[in-house]
Amino acid sequence: MPICNRREFLQGSALGLSLTLAACSKPRQARREERISVLRAGDYGQELYGEMRRVLAEHRLQVRGKRVLLKPNLIEFEPDSPIHTHPLLVHATFEAFRALGAEVLIAEGPGHRRNTLDLADAAGYFQTIPHFEDAFIDLNLDQVTQVRFANPRSRLGSLYLAQAALSCDLLVSMPKMKTHHWAGATLSMKNLFGVVPGGVYGWPKNVLHWAGINECIVDLYHALPKHFAIVDGIVGMEGNGPIQGKAKRAGVVLAGRDLASVDATCCQIMSIDPRRIEYLKLAAGDVGEMLKSIRQIGEPIENVRTRFELLPVWAGIRLDNPVS
Amino acid sequence: MLHQAAKNPVREMQNLVECQNRDGGWPYRPGGPSWTEPAAYALLALRAHEPAADPAERAAGWLRATQRSDGGWAPAPAVRQSTWVSAVVVLLGPAILGEASYRRAVAWLLDQTGEESSFLTRLRTFLAGNQIPPEQRFPGWPWFPGASAWVTPTALSMLALKKAFRVDPSAAIGRRLQMGASFLIRHACSDGGWNYGAPRALGFEARSYPETTGIALLALHGIDSSEVRKACELAKVQLASCQSSEAESWLRLGLLAHRQLPPDAPRPVRTPRTIQNAALALLASAAGQGHNIFLE
Repeated sequence: MPICNRREFLQGSALGLSLTLAACSKPRQARREERISVLRAGDYGQELYGEMRRVLAEHRLQVRGKRVLLKPNLIEFEPDSPIHTHPLLVHATFEAFRALGAEVLIAEGPGHRRNTLDLADAAGYFQTIPHFEDAFIDLNLDQVTQVRFANPRSRLGSLYLAQAALSCDLLVSMPKMKTHHWAGATLSMKNLFGVVPGGVYGWPKNVLHWAGINECIVDLYHALPKHFAIVDGIVGMEGNGPIQGKAKRAGVVLAGRDLASVDATCCQIMSIDPRRIEYLKLAAGDVGEMLKSIRQIGEPIENVRTRFELLPVWAGIRLDNPVS
Repeated sequence: MLHQAAKNPVREMQNLVECQNRDGGWPYRPGGPSWTEPAAYALLALRAHEPAADPAERAAGWLRATQRSDGGWAPAPAVRQSTWVSAVVVLLGPAILGEASYRRAVAWLLDQTGEESSFLTRLRTFLAGNQIPPEQRFPGWPWFPGASAWVTPTALSMLALKKAFRVDPSAAIGRRLQMGASFLIRHACSDGGWNYGAPRALGFEARSYPETTGIALLALHGIDSSEVRKACELAKVQLASCQSSEAESWLRLGLLAHRQLPPDAPRPVRTPRTIQNAALALLASAAGQGHNIFLE
């Protein structure tokens, strides 16, 4: 009696062939473990100076003798609204990097208002950061270099970008934790829009909208690979962000080397499902896999999760909605 | 380096001249490379205050040399694309730029519209069964080709074309000026002023900005309507509380254009933090003395 008939033989051969092909194909590159610090911080107090040193130590950044560019988020002349990255957090980070031996600069290129230094003044930066103007670069008016995207996601094959952002050794994206009426959430990746020079593209930098906001976010993320993120989530913004929303106290600062992983963690804290944020999907491919690669340091997400109010059009990104 | 320009225009004009680069252009911040926008504003300020001829001639030479083959100007020599800054240069007129260069520049400006007004975008809107929103019926000017029209580049282009219309009162220029004015009126915020050009989003009303309210009013010079009168009233309020030298300058220029600057209006107090803003403060100062170079 034959061991198997012809049909069973063919089925077995096909299975064997596919297993062999699968074994020979290029193995899927394992994701690097991403360490994300979640620091509980109740307020913008002096203790942040020590905390930021500790956070940077956790990430073992080698920045001695290197040029570090802090890129906060400045938008509007509204000092009483939680629009801007708080100047005290920026200064605490500035001092923490200096303590590591880095040359530190601060830079921003706001998207709506042209008067960046006046904006920084109104936001309290001059008052909080000694000799602020000497350490500051207006990215909207900086020298520019045309950068061609290796694998563009947007319709733009290239963009002129601020030279200061391209030439630094480490670009530290320091956004405010906010909801965003066009992107769902604006965090360390969306904050990179500030390196696109208004002096070339105008105010707003509307070419990015025509080319696809989410796609442009990802193009910039890949074009500026030497990055780090520190997110101001002590008081964030919910609802109609990034300008007209309401203050939302989340009481956290997040930090990490990979902007996408940091933003995905922020989303979870904001009760937003990162798997439904389009630019995270474009950047990470499988956001679920990315989440598995995150090793969290500090506060567990469950301890600091809070519900950021969303505009009705964004109800579908809520964390507790079933994934369709 | 940069001081309150309107307080001592003579000294500030001297400061401005000292910031001129060796190539004849001006940077945004002292010591930087030349950019088109500050160079054009600085040259306008020089003309308004009639200083020594040499810096002005060198600046004009730099601007003439940097005109692109399509007739427009790039924001800086490193950029290979003509943009909104062309409108600021066109304000200098044919006497500075030369007749032929000026005509090419005006033609470039007339060719520009926001992408939302382009044939392809309108066709897509039609095929999708959507109506063109009322505020998009009249084409304005974009900051950068291929993007939407916004308030500031539209206002600057209108100011440039109003000057061009005095040289060549053609129907094409007249039509664009009419549509530009309609664009601005349609893009006013509910408070009566203008922000960058999005008066509302997702059903939320947006607030106006002082600098864009000022420049829109200046571009609407010669138009008397309820919208303009409402904007003038708002501009007077904004002038008392604005937080940048640029806003002070555009508001003064806008109100002066409509003879609405109150005699007891607050004097400029903000320090210009860029050369472009120092030049604007000088232009506003000259306009206060009856010499508004945007409208002459």
